[in-house]
Amino acid sequence: MNCEYCELRKSAILYEDKDVAVIVKDTAVTSGQITVLPKQHFTILEMVPNELMEKCFLVANKVSMAIFESVGSQGTNIMIQNGLSAGQTVPHFAIEVVPRREEDSLNFQWQPKQLSEPELESLLSQLSEVKVNLKEKAEAKDKKEIKVKDENTEIIVEKEGKKNYLLKSIRRTP
Amino acid sequence: MPQMTPEQQKALQEKLKNMSPEELQEFQKQQCIFCQIISGKVPAKKVYEDDQCIAILDINPAAKGHLLLLPKEHYAIMPQIPEPILAHLSVVSKHLSQLLLKSLKVDGTTIFVANGLAAGQKAQHFMIHIIPRKEDDNALQFEEKVISKEIQDKVKVAVENKLYQLLEVKKESIQLKLPQEDYFEEKPEFFITSENAKRYHKEKCAFAQNINSEHRIEMTPEQAANSGKKPCTCITGEKIPLPAKTKTESELDDSKNNKPAKKISPAKSTHSTKSAKSTKKNSKSKVPQKEEEEPEEEFEPDQEDTNKNVNLDDIANLFR
Repeated sequence: MNCEYCELRKSAILYEDKDVAVIVKDTAVTSGQITVLPKQHFTILEMVPNELMEKCFLVANKVSMAIFESVGSQGTNIMIQNGLSAGQTVPHFAIEVVPRREEDSLNFQWQPKQLSEPELESLLSQLSEVKVNLKEKAEAKDKKEIKVKDENTEIIVEKEGKKNYLLKSIRRTP
Repeated sequence: MPQMTPEQQKALQEKLKNMSPEELQEFQKQQCIFCQIISGKVPAKKVYEDDQCIAILDINPAAKGHLLLLPKEHYAIMPQIPEPILAHLSVVSKHLSQLLLKSLKVDGTTIFVANGLAAGQKAQHFMIHIIPRKEDDNALQFEEKVISKEIQDKVKVAVENKLYQLLEVKKESIQLKLPQEDYFEEKPEFFITSENAKRYHKEKCAFAQNINSEHRIEMTPEQAANSGKKPCTCITGEKIPLPAKTKTESELDDSKNNKPAKKISPAKSTHSTKSAKSTKKNSKSKVPQKEEEEPEEEFEPDQEDTNKNVNLDDIANLFR
């Protein structure tokens, strides 16, 4: 598979270590936009291991701070476009850090919708079906994978969910 | 009491200065709707909660299932947040994104952070938006434009130093990025000769300097040994005969230099007892005799003005 980020020319790289690379892309929402990505190829967020995700996010925070101080921006947007329909253009997970100024012409706002109480309730119940699973996962990150292995049933559920989505997303990626 | 008011003001200001961080934080907390949600004073649809963070459904969402992930402590912007909490938030947001994908059967998610008023931050409480996305939902659309190489480089230069500083990368590792060339690597030893020559020479030997570039052959010590040619005096340790007639001061030095060398060589030992002038003449006359067949190696004593220097290197350099 051809991946734009995996084959990046060295000139674009701002910083790199063994896990993470920080690059300046040639296409961006605004000039000064910086991209943080794991060096290993992951198509979507869900494939990225917890530890790597943490590292990427911390680096993105540092990039955001660096932008604050060096480019003279008054704010930053940190953005993960996860999946084709979210606007992801390169099939490689990445965090975008966008510098913002008061008078820039960017509009990152959405049209707020009004949801009624029953709609919210139904959403909540929809979400809470998987809620237990989520807590297990969030806790599992501290205990690391070895402990999760004991609970076979949990893993199967997770894997099935993941796989189904992954297969879907892989088919979708250009 | 006009003098008292400024003093009182000063005292008040000092009080404010001393108290302001806590007071301001407390004040902000009281004002912050999200802190009230976290403390339970305002009801909200909680999706997830642990000891560090809480995720709720957005009341005015960009799309159905828009989640807000909030740290339980009140932080206004991301740089204020301690790294462990931020790391935890990132992992939870990943799992929340997974949750949305699974339960709402959406195709993608956008994880969005607005940092500062200019970035569109509305509440004074840091939050991560996790927005479920469907194709053509027009919720968040960005038009990408091409950034010129010039601006890219400018950005790089501007951000690089600060970023390295923040990441606490040592300067050495930055320098490692530069290609390191070893300029002091020594050339392997080689000797110079020509096709018809009987002897081979060091590079700096006057004979070697005299060989025309057409006939010049470079060879390794091994090749030289196997070539059947003999080593020149420059290799055996004898001094190279000086090029031209020596005069006055340099004459004496030359004779000193030449004498021990002659002793080593049995062929030339007969000349050792003779005067410096005679050795000079002899050696000069000998050279063309010995190397008759090597016209390109013939020593041409046409450097009348070069004899003030005794240093062999300098002499060798004059031939170039």
